[in-house]
Amino acid sequence: MDALHYFAMSWLSPELLGLTALGTFLGIYVGAIPGLSVTMAVSILISFTFAWDVNYALCLMVGVYMGGVYGGSRTAILLNIPGAPSAIATALDGYPLAKKGLAGEAIGLSTIMSVVGGFVGIVVLALAAPTVSEFAITFQPRDYMMLGILGIMLVGSLSGGSLARGIFAGALGLLIGTVGLDPMTAEERFTFGVVELWDGINPVAVMIGMFGISEALHQLHHMNKAVVKQKISRIIPKWSDIKKYMPLSLQTSFIGVIVGALPGTGGDIAALMAYDHAKRVTKNPEVPFGEGAKEGLIAPEAANNAAVGGAYIPMLTLGIPGDAVTAVFIGALFIHGLNPGPLLLIEQPHMFWFTVGNLTLANIFVLIFGLTGIKMFSKIVECPKGILIPLIFLLSIVGAYAINNAITDIWWMLAFGVFGYFMRLYGFPVGPVILGVILSSLTDENWRRAILSERGSISDLFINVFHSPLSTILFSVIVLILFTQSPIWTRWLKRKLFHETA
Amino acid sequence: MSSQSPFVKTRKPGERIFCFLMIVGSVYLFWQSYAIAGFSSFSSPGAFPLAASATMVLASCITFLNTLKLPAAENVRFVYHCFPPIVAIVMALILIYSVVLESLGFVLSSFAFLFVSIQFLYRRNVLTTLAISLLAMVIVYIIFRLIFQVVLPEGIVPEREILSSIKSLWR
Repeated sequence: MDALHYFAMSWLSPELLGLTALGTFLGIYVGAIPGLSVTMAVSILISFTFAWDVNYALCLMVGVYMGGVYGGSRTAILLNIPGAPSAIATALDGYPLAKKGLAGEAIGLSTIMSVVGGFVGIVVLALAAPTVSEFAITFQPRDYMMLGILGIMLVGSLSGGSLARGIFAGALGLLIGTVGLDPMTAEERFTFGVVELWDGINPVAVMIGMFGISEALHQLHHMNKAVVKQKISRIIPKWSDIKKYMPLSLQTSFIGVIVGALPGTGGDIAALMAYDHAKRVTKNPEVPFGEGAKEGLIAPEAANNAAVGGAYIPMLTLGIPGDAVTAVFIGALFIHGLNPGPLLLIEQPHMFWFTVGNLTLANIFVLIFGLTGIKMFSKIVECPKGILIPLIFLLSIVGAYAINNAITDIWWMLAFGVFGYFMRLYGFPVGPVILGVILSSLTDENWRRAILSERGSISDLFINVFHSPLSTILFSVIVLILFTQSPIWTRWLKRKLFHETA
Repeated sequence: MSSQSPFVKTRKPGERIFCFLMIVGSVYLFWQSYAIAGFSSFSSPGAFPLAASATMVLASCITFLNTLKLPAAENVRFVYHCFPPIVAIVMALILIYSVVLESLGFVLSSFAFLFVSIQFLYRRNVLTTLAISLLAMVIVYIIFRLIFQVVLPEGIVPEREILSSIKSLWR
């Protein structure tokens, strides 16, 4: 009964309902406008909402996340520019559909299937999270440490760059997270005698720099891209189409949840894998893939929205983010005094059910906003970059200032912005840095707890890893990624996915 | 975001230098981590930073060695493709904006920043830019200062007095 009460909390309060609607609405536009990313929006939002009541802040951010994952598909269909990485696969068949004059139908169908995917993700989250969290209580410190490392490594290896660059970025993030007074012994680390550094570098400043400033700086390279306009016909899709594609979209939704729940893999990978799956199971498509097959449109769309629910599972139960957006979310939860991890569901079950209810609500708003307001949408998306980019800079700087009313945070943000610009330029992924910053204290503390519980003996720790099945599995997965498969496997996987999707 | 193709690997101008700088930085951080507690024990405050920075040294060395093998990208010049003047100018604008933000106050400095950068990036006539930046400022101010109640530097504009006098008009 309590669960239901908390579930309905955001549905019954007009303020929370309004904020969720607003967030979803904003998210759709943020996700749709190329150059604005959900990660960017959520990191800037944290700085503006940290003084709010946690429920209000969460409603807004959950809405932005849900809406943003969906929003990317619209520009992918209309302009052939994926508004977000998770919509890359959507463009492959969505844009050809639009060229045939079926843009409206494509948007309608992708909306319905996104919402279906979203619901599958939420149901799995609601069913699986309590079990995972019960299981997670038995985790040893060493398991947490290894999970943290695993998350960073997966993001590093799958986010596009080489594994070495990804690991470099992740380790850098871990190091940035250690700056300040050591939480266990209060010893100074990397403070260089500066008292201001005792509290460490604000993770929000790092996030806004890496995702806001550096991304906007990169957009300056593509200032003069012509925009192709599309005619939009009927939006509400045919009932027969929905019925016909439902089995496929349910299948790819489950792919989405599982991929989303793995630490380090998010909506973009889920969408590509779902597209691949759709191609394999569709024996006789009406239209070949890549030329406007509806299967190729709905599969990634269902999967990337299902991945949202999936990504919440490790985030809420283990405190380990699934991807960059959830890393930013964990940052937000910390700022609001919540401690995501196995104890969250036991100590604050209302938080969990509130989030589930909120996600459901946001998903319904995706449906409402997704099927309306397309005319206005195409106007706003055409907002020239010359106006948009200065506004992003303005919001980033104001956001960084607003966290602590300190000009120092602006300097950190700018430094990481410029550094992030060069990292992106030379193929270093910035996602692992954020993941590292967020996971730093968790990994550090659990490493030390693990080694202390073995009385400082690293050989005992190593031997005891093999006494627990879970530790053994985690350890072997890390070793597997690192030594055998990673360079060959990711190259193979990527080539396969790119070849089959291209 | 990255414009490089996943199949043909080339090296951008400045990539080697950047990777080399990463090695230098990592070694420096390793040395700093060592300075925390040395190699005293595996559970010391310095152990984790040591491991992380050692990983960075190793990973940056591998990356640097890989870039040595790659051929330079053709027809790609640092000043045009990697760090074009437009990026440098915008970075300078942001820097100036952040410097004057506290002394001039949010309203004046942000308006000036918006006006100059929109004029520079959008290139329409001055009146259009003025109108756009004014409108944007009003919206940003209402959303963040009045609705979100974010504390922003006041600087030389007596914002609170103006706000309270507007409020008193209302009564």
